[in-house]
Amino acid sequence: MARTAPPPLTRGVGWTRLPILLAGLAACVLLFIVPFLVVVATSWTRTSFVAFPPQGFSLSWYRDVLHDPEWTDSFKVSLRVSAIATLIAVVFGTLGALALSRLRSRAARSWLRTLFIIPMAIPPVAYAVGMYSVNLKVSAFQEHLTLLVLGEALLAVPYVFVVVSTGLSQADPALRPAAATLGAPWPMIVLLVDLPLILPQILVGAVFAFAVIFDEVVLSVFLAPIGVKTLPLQMLNASQEALSPQLTAASTLISLLVMVLLGLVSLVSGRRAARARAIARKAATA
Amino acid sequence: MTIALTIQDVHVTLGQSLILKGVSLDANPGEFVTLLGASGSGKSTLLNVIAGLQGVDSGHVLFDGVNVEKRPPRKRNVGVVFQSYALFPHMTVGENVAFPLRAARRGSAERKKVAQEMLDLVDLGSMFDRKPVSLSGGQRQRVALARALAANPGILLLDEPMAALDKQLRERMQVEIKRIQQQVGITTLAVTHDQAEAMTMSDRVAIMHQGRFVQCDRPENLYRRPVDAYVASFLGEANLIEAHGDDGRSPVVTGTAVVRPEDLSLTRADAPAGRWAFEGPVTLLSFQGSRYRLELLNVNGERIVCSLGPHTDVSGIVVGRHVRVACLDPSLVHIIDHRSVGGAVEQIEPVA
Repeated sequence: MARTAPPPLTRGVGWTRLPILLAGLAACVLLFIVPFLVVVATSWTRTSFVAFPPQGFSLSWYRDVLHDPEWTDSFKVSLRVSAIATLIAVVFGTLGALALSRLRSRAARSWLRTLFIIPMAIPPVAYAVGMYSVNLKVSAFQEHLTLLVLGEALLAVPYVFVVVSTGLSQADPALRPAAATLGAPWPMIVLLVDLPLILPQILVGAVFAFAVIFDEVVLSVFLAPIGVKTLPLQMLNASQEALSPQLTAASTLISLLVMVLLGLVSLVSGRRAARARAIARKAATA
Repeated sequence: MTIALTIQDVHVTLGQSLILKGVSLDANPGEFVTLLGASGSGKSTLLNVIAGLQGVDSGHVLFDGVNVEKRPPRKRNVGVVFQSYALFPHMTVGENVAFPLRAARRGSAERKKVAQEMLDLVDLGSMFDRKPVSLSGGQRQRVALARALAANPGILLLDEPMAALDKQLRERMQVEIKRIQQQVGITTLAVTHDQAEAMTMSDRVAIMHQGRFVQCDRPENLYRRPVDAYVASFLGEANLIEAHGDDGRSPVVTGTAVVRPEDLSLTRADAPAGRWAFEGPVTLLSFQGSRYRLELLNVNGERIVCSLGPHTDVSGIVVGRHVRVACLDPSLVHIIDHRSVGGAVEQIEPVA
């Protein structure tokens, strides 16, 4: 079952192929890479405010950020909030996707899908204000991160839901009936068939959810207890107060962290894909 | 512990449409019955009804005389081979086959032993630790069969088992499945739209059309004595000829004669014309390996198809030339009597 490579597109696009490629490349560089490089560059300036082009070169702003408790504490708060909220979002998003895969009625499916995607459509500010008014009424919430965590989780549920339900819809629909006829009760089907199958999508959904929550600032503005700051909130403050290069240094560090994480993820999944291809090749030749 | 299957007057509606309109069937223990029909005839739905994956509006499903309509699939003790095989991609072949035993909470030693036995039965003993993706289509099908049989079910259900295989493999697997089925001695119900497959594997074939059984019989009887034109043209090829006979007393018997292409042979033009002789210009002659296919236009404008043996002398036969073909043994011609088969008349279509 050797798959042949698709025919080259050269014929179809003709002489425009090279210009199109170059234009696409230029657009990528301009839109994604240049802004990032600007941010990075401003972080090594010697001036005490964000300046482009940078003047001189120093890593002192990095040392500053790493030793300033304002920054390190807010980083820790963000990690904690994001981790717990991601966990909640993954659980609810996955449950929603499983429910969707079990519904037969078309109308019920579209209702459920809409319900789970709504948080994406609500303007975050309106949503944050709503939660803020709840926060004012219930004093028990005010001292804690509870409401912030719940709010962030709700915002991230749609991402997990969409990714996981896509994964479920690609699985062979006969797997569950097959498990049932083989004698498995439903909890066993969920544990042994559904979850292992969608584990990759759950992980991808979790990464998305984490990224969304880690970056989210609006809810933090309204819901963070007094004196507690998440990293985005700290960045917002920094940009409003002094516009110190600490801000761009912190952003650069976060970006590097994210890149390393994503690199690891794609390395692992790339290894897995390569292994699967090798096995398939061996089977084809055997 | 193979069982007898009884289906009584089952009706099923899906959405707005009636899928099964009163289907009844009795299968003896160990019997291989195939449901044969075009897509949309309701055959897969009937299989799902037996497996418990589809509820019924009315009617009964009995295993050894016991009503099972209310039982969920997991308590019916059926083995199903799905069209896609539905192997769990994240488990090894051995884990797949052991799955029903795991569901039944058997110990891991027993699971392993039975899984190995089942894989040996389908000749895949060495594949225990492989993943399904690394198997060929035919191997996957056999793993699915081993898994379906592992928990010692009372009945085996095969849903279009050959659909995903190429032609040569299909023919090998038909024989292979039949061998395993006989070795295990399990009551088996298969669904297919492939008539050759149905005839090769089955003790009996039930022809389904629009949610009903048209005829259910041994393959030879279906082929030789179809109850109506639909069955006649669905199973193999048939020349359907309006027959106006006389039985001595009453002047005209109106019916449809079923003349199989392989029962016709070339005759000399000056030979005495028999009752089942056809004459006209040749419209097609093609060599098909084991047979010649010859088509001619009869005097009445009917297209007559003949299948001639490979050693027939066809020299001089060209398109346009008049030839005569005849069925030399009139007992091979089956007459569908329109008076005895109520409602059959409207289903008769001209040979297309």
